[in-house]
Amino acid sequence: MDDQVDVVVVGGGSTGCGVIRDLARRGLDAVLVEKGNLTHGTTGRMHGLLHSGGRYAVSDQKSARECIEENRVLRDIAGHCVEETGGMFVKRPEDSEEYFQEKLEGCRACDIPAEVIDGEEARQREPYLARDVEKAIVVPDGAVDPFRLCVANAVDAREHGARVETHAAVTDVLVEDGEVVGVEIEHDSGPGKRVHREPGTTEEIYARYVVNATGAWAGQIGEMAGVDVEVRPSKGVMTVMNTRQVDTVINRCRPKGDADIVVPHETACILGTTDEEVDDPEDYPEEEWEVDLMIETLSELVPALKDARTLRSFWGVRPLYEPPGTGTDDPTDITRDYFLLDHAVRDDLPGMTSIVGGKLTTYRMMAESITDHVCEKLDHDADCDTADVPLPGSEDFSVLRDYMEEFGIRSPIGRRSAQRLGSRTDDVLSGTDPNPVVCECEGVTRAEVRNAIDEAGSDLNAVRIRTRASMGNCQGGFCTHRIASELAREYPGPVVRDAEDELYQERWKGQRHALWGRQLSQAMLNHLLHATTMNRDGDPATTDADVDFGAFDAGPDPATEPASGSGSDDSPAGATATDGGLDATGDPGATAGPDATDGGTDGDR
Amino acid sequence: MTRHTGDDGDEASGSDGTERHGDARDERHGDTADERHSDTADERHSDTADGTRSRPGVPDLGRDERPAIFVPDDDEPEAEATGSGDGGASDPRTATDGGVESATGGSDSTDLDPDAYDPIDVFPEGDLDLRDGADSCYKCTSCDTSCPVAEVDDEFPGPKFQGPEQWRLKRKDDHDIDESITSCSNCMRCDDACPSSVPLSQMHNEARGQFVEAQMEKLSVEYVRNRILANYRTSAQLASMVPRLSSFAMNFGPARWAMDKVLGIPREREFPEFATQTFREWWRDRGGAQVENPDKRVAYFHGCYSNYNTPEVGKAMVRVYEHFGYEVMVPPQKCSGTPMFANGMLKDARRHAETNVENLVAAIGDGADVIASCTSCSMSLRQEYPELFDIHGIEDLSEHTFEALEYLRIHEDLDGALAESGGPDDEREFAYHAPCHARNQGLARQAVETFRDVDGVKLEDVGDSCSGISGTYGWKSEKYDKSMQIGEEMFEHMEHAEGDVGMTECPTCAMQMEHGTGYEIEHPLQLLEETVVA
Repeated sequence: MDDQVDVVVVGGGSTGCGVIRDLARRGLDAVLVEKGNLTHGTTGRMHGLLHSGGRYAVSDQKSARECIEENRVLRDIAGHCVEETGGMFVKRPEDSEEYFQEKLEGCRACDIPAEVIDGEEARQREPYLARDVEKAIVVPDGAVDPFRLCVANAVDAREHGARVETHAAVTDVLVEDGEVVGVEIEHDSGPGKRVHREPGTTEEIYARYVVNATGAWAGQIGEMAGVDVEVRPSKGVMTVMNTRQVDTVINRCRPKGDADIVVPHETACILGTTDEEVDDPEDYPEEEWEVDLMIETLSELVPALKDARTLRSFWGVRPLYEPPGTGTDDPTDITRDYFLLDHAVRDDLPGMTSIVGGKLTTYRMMAESITDHVCEKLDHDADCDTADVPLPGSEDFSVLRDYMEEFGIRSPIGRRSAQRLGSRTDDVLSGTDPNPVVCECEGVTRAEVRNAIDEAGSDLNAVRIRTRASMGNCQGGFCTHRIASELAREYPGPVVRDAEDELYQERWKGQRHALWGRQLSQAMLNHLLHATTMNRDGDPATTDADVDFGAFDAGPDPATEPASGSGSDDSPAGATATDGGLDATGDPGATAGPDATDGGTDGDR
Repeated sequence: MTRHTGDDGDEASGSDGTERHGDARDERHGDTADERHSDTADERHSDTADGTRSRPGVPDLGRDERPAIFVPDDDEPEAEATGSGDGGASDPRTATDGGVESATGGSDSTDLDPDAYDPIDVFPEGDLDLRDGADSCYKCTSCDTSCPVAEVDDEFPGPKFQGPEQWRLKRKDDHDIDESITSCSNCMRCDDACPSSVPLSQMHNEARGQFVEAQMEKLSVEYVRNRILANYRTSAQLASMVPRLSSFAMNFGPARWAMDKVLGIPREREFPEFATQTFREWWRDRGGAQVENPDKRVAYFHGCYSNYNTPEVGKAMVRVYEHFGYEVMVPPQKCSGTPMFANGMLKDARRHAETNVENLVAAIGDGADVIASCTSCSMSLRQEYPELFDIHGIEDLSEHTFEALEYLRIHEDLDGALAESGGPDDEREFAYHAPCHARNQGLARQAVETFRDVDGVKLEDVGDSCSGISGTYGWKSEKYDKSMQIGEEMFEHMEHAEGDVGMTECPTCAMQMEHGTGYEIEHPLQLLEETVVA
């Protein structure tokens, strides 16, 4: 097997991305395969909290210590993905004083800096806090963007020789002679960058070792290899508010419970969450009461939430795991710790290890420990440096420059761009002139969108997670078509339209859970713009339907109308234009060919 | 009754009237002595339990009156006079706004229902947090398409960006507002255009204030120029001491050249002439109000322009109102703040607002409604004051303020009076322009509707475009061309109209109309005086 690689990592979430980066930096030849986009599973469906460890300071001090340690690491290596918001555990009159003290002592026991402030001081810092909040413990919580974090890990891995394949679902785990020797994957399009309407292929990747980093899906991969991985997926809802009611992370200081955290995230706030076990990580009910619960309960901490606009809600599935025989009933009691399951030891199936449990804040630490494990298996001697070397975008990170002057964009746009791009700001923004704003809500310019397209092919959801374009209050209503039109420079019409539809659908998916009040109005306006003004619900170009142009009125008859000059021109011109549109895009494969070839060597991230 | 006479500085108070009357006013100011002390509008302005008239809002003196660099303010005499006055300051409830719960809660009303408080003005530094207003924006762009500046200025990103988008992108400690906010002329058409009640002009005003406060170089020519323009009242007051000389000097060629070069005040514009007798001087000389009527009282907010430049408008207001039996009060007052908002000088505006609110709220306490003859002044008292400031009584002032013609149309049979009058002696034809700020108050058609059936009067509406001057906007050299471009449509329509006299309620629109067409411009009150009173 000449083309055997060292390691295949299955799963493009935070763990998988962390692992592929670590493997690549240690000089191993590694491939990451992910069935959707990066962050497609649980990672892209979290509230973006960079834990200080405070949440686990009472119940799970081991996790708490790991959190504060990694919290500090990420501030260093991923500055452009982290916002140092700070956090508070706030106590309402009905919350237990005893627990408040326990929390404080727990934080101190775990070396989490913690300071107690009174309600007045808390409201000075966060004026929207309820007036009956009595006091708060201030901890170094932060906000982290899981999308940028994963992409940056993948970019670094690729720069160190790794191959990253998204939209490549594992269809089988290859087992030969009682040993895992690789995986079979099915490329949605490609291999390489994803381009809509490009035919998919099947590929077998042989590897000396396989890492199953699929989190809540670990059981499914296990099954393909014939082993049991008893992940207990547990769903939680998160609700996105249109604006930031708070600029620091607000936790409710009580033992456990649903709806106890508000995380400021970029331009928005994310309310979380619930904890309920589900059977299938991809098929579970998304229920209205869960959203109502978020808003009602968290209004006790931040009353303004009650009347504020909700953009959307989404559900994530935790990859909870507990060793067989523990038998915990309530998923909230299952440990948040992570586990390496070496199937050689556990199931007598060498060649594969699964990693389950854990949380985003400690993704790098998990990656380090599994990479150590793999290196040991492969007898490869190399040190881990992922805690010290900044991720791409976080080197020499400074946003203190005047991007407006330099790149001719408005100052808030420049500020937001620089916050997202970090040290890549110059490279990305200097390439495009003129550089209009494409997504108004989030202040994303053409340059950023094009840069993301260069990396992601025709996949506009991949563009979205890189740029935040379409994640603001219009939820794509005013920008999906603008973003898609940037694709049209490289890709044929049908590809562009498919990509546009896919992004629009994705935005709709979350908005369905916010259809009241102002977001309902927004959704209706979006619908009317797209369905009526743009005719996207019945555009013959997208339905591939035959249009009977002959049935249309041909206009005034040139023979009988004296002033017929325009009439005779009209009818053929109209038909040609419409047909032409279809013709020009009739053979997408030919046009997209060169891109696909490029993508093959480039790898899709 | 209370009669206010003399120049701004003087205030003489007679005996307090105690009688009440009138339909709506009855209810608003009815005796509420028995009611619990609440923060309702009625209670604060009514008689106290012992029957003596309280002087709500009348002054704790000297509060926040530190003179600013370019504002050698003139309020000392007035302040002293009021303070040593009729004991208003001795009422603890009326001394400051601290004694009474403010309408919006204020920053220290901690005992309010946690669900009900208005979080917008809770920030200790006094900055407003308007990110919440972005919740109402659907991005529909109606505001941008109705913005007269965006139409002619490709560099101006428009009200949607300046308002909801910029606010939404803000984080708590962010202090960089985009410089383009200074290109907004504050015409407030976006407010009117928005189908979703986004507080656009409030967002613009606050952002502009923050920009000027935090980012504008205080020694820059632009700042100095804007400060001078915004504080027109100060210049006008000085100029009015020697009106003829001022009128000459301000328009003296070499002086204008220098102003253009040094300050950026376009030399194309002609400074308005200063009246040889201000409105307030006239009012003092005539002995104040000629009609006493505790049942029908109005407090006249003349604004700066009617006082210093066009006292004929103020005189017309007085004569028309007295004709209808109103007792006119002319309380001490300063600038309404409109030019200050437009230049981000919120501190100046607030200082002036405090004087205005105190004195006008006192007049409301005396049973008056507040009448302005300038639509920007009434706009400011009605909308911008409560949106931007938290001063005791400011909400009541907002509710009790009306434009002069609007108020008569509500309370009097103007049509009847006009029909009876038989119209003016000579045929009059006007090209009427509705100011943007009138439009925002729903008054765009009031002049046309009032005069359309009057014999011998022809009033032609020249359309809904903006005049382009927007107060101080057109008084800046770098904006002059754009200002004239915006005004082009109005000039053209004026030329096409049959009349060759212009008419509008707004003094700066009047300047622009005159500048663009050479027409003489009148205020509707003057025509009303000519017909009804004559």
